[in-house]
Amino acid sequence: MDELRAAIAIGKKDLTVLSRYRIAVVSQIFQPLYQGVIPAFLFGASFAVAGHVVGLEASVGTENLAGFIFLGGVISGLVATSFWAMAMGLRNEMDAGTLEPVWLTPTRHETLVIGRALGGIVWFLISQVVLFAIGIVVFGLRFDAGIILAVPAVVVATFGMVGVAYLLASVVLLIRDANFFIDCTNFLFGVASGVAFPVTLLPAVLQPVALFLPTTYAMDILRQQAIGARPTFDPLLEYVGLIATTVVLYPMGRWAFARAEHTIRVRGALGQY
Amino acid sequence: MSLLAGDLRAFLAAARKELRIVRRYPLNYVGGLFWGALLPAAYVLMGKAYSGGGDPRAMAAFADRAGTTEFAGFVFVGYAMYMWLSSFLWGPGTALRREQIQGSLEATMLTPVSRLVLLFGPGMAAIPSMLFTFAVTVVTLWLMFGFVPPVGSIVPVAVVVLVALPAMYAIGSLFAAGVLRYGEIGPVVQIVRGTFVLACGITFPLAMLPAWAQAGAAILPPTYIVGDIRAAILQQVALPGLVADLAVTLGLTAITATLAIVVFRYLEASARRSGMLGRY
Repeated sequence: MDELRAAIAIGKKDLTVLSRYRIAVVSQIFQPLYQGVIPAFLFGASFAVAGHVVGLEASVGTENLAGFIFLGGVISGLVATSFWAMAMGLRNEMDAGTLEPVWLTPTRHETLVIGRALGGIVWFLISQVVLFAIGIVVFGLRFDAGIILAVPAVVVATFGMVGVAYLLASVVLLIRDANFFIDCTNFLFGVASGVAFPVTLLPAVLQPVALFLPTTYAMDILRQQAIGARPTFDPLLEYVGLIATTVVLYPMGRWAFARAEHTIRVRGALGQY
Repeated sequence: MSLLAGDLRAFLAAARKELRIVRRYPLNYVGGLFWGALLPAAYVLMGKAYSGGGDPRAMAAFADRAGTTEFAGFVFVGYAMYMWLSSFLWGPGTALRREQIQGSLEATMLTPVSRLVLLFGPGMAAIPSMLFTFAVTVVTLWLMFGFVPPVGSIVPVAVVVLVALPAMYAIGSLFAAGVLRYGEIGPVVQIVRGTFVLACGITFPLAMLPAWAQAGAAILPPTYIVGDIRAAILQQVALPGLVADLAVTLGLTAITATLAIVVFRYLEASARRSGMLGRY
């Protein structure tokens, strides 16, 4: 119970800090729009024939371009939350000089990542509601009520991404200046999950990588249920893959985090950056 | 030594200093290599999804709007412009900001050199990364998508790049001047870069924009630069066919550079009154 209280306190603290930077808040909503959604939408629409995106229909079984892009944004946002809010948050504590005092509290160190996950997920949900509202009003975004059926898959993928965040946090603790690393891996993880295009279009060497990511399956299930996209694999197998990757990634992340923590305590590197 | 010769020497010294700093951080080029190759490659794969793997009707629709069916080349040229914009919007502003943070901006301001040296000197840092990006673009297009620009496009593209350099330089200097007033200009640069990406047809055909936005794009130099490079490489338009656009680009460059000088002078005067030069 104490750990839960600590996690909630960390999440609230992160949200309070974020809310103090109003330009950053606005930027986090609009940056995905003008850097991702609008260019992708206009690029996709440039292939449209008499208003129908026939190419997309041939590729994924639906011509719902706005739905395809905005739903990609959901998983892309989840990945970004895991990489930047959960994992990179430790680096921000390092920069602020508060990581050592936080580490000395009796709270379990794994809880520090869970707290960041709570704050990050709340902000992720708020930003997705705003983005979807803009999508519906401006881009004609439409999706089926079946989207509700995909919620459990997204929730399971979120647990998987917490495992990924632990893995990343262990790297952040060890290499310290992790900005470029997080930036690149965030991009590659999203691309390999199929947020921008179906994973079947990935180069052959990268396609097996996609199979190890819970977000690949969550992305596919979400698009199937919400816009009637053609499934990449058998839907039952996708649920199996989603659960299996989550079950593997979560303990793997916890183990890597514990190892990294032990290493930096031995080296005395906790306060270095 | 005349005043002009002294300023020229100071400019060369400033350029040498900036290039030396760039040379000291070679890892920054890893980022250029990564983003210059993979970001457009991901966009090309998006194009494959949107075109249904080359559905003739979808390709014809794209060609109607973009003037070519070669969307890999189209995307890569656009992203080269995106990387140039990033280099020139971040480079000079970051260099001035670095001087401010290191505490050397005030000292530099006390020297008798022309303020134009301070304004245009930092831009030199962006030139190597601009040329590097262009090389990454061409090599990636060739290795990953098997597209080799025609030999006949080399001269027109070289001329467009030569005209583009001062244009991009002027845009970067204009936004660098903002450091004197606001200190941290990162968020502004993000918004400006986003505006250029949307307005100049960098990742999609300009024809997709509404008429009012196309009119706005016509006063931005990157619109002509990216359009001319695409025309030279993807449609084999020869140099005479690009002369009108290049003249417009030079005209807009002159206006932007003049604006940068005026804004810099105004903000410098304001910073002297408010004591902003040494604050950050």
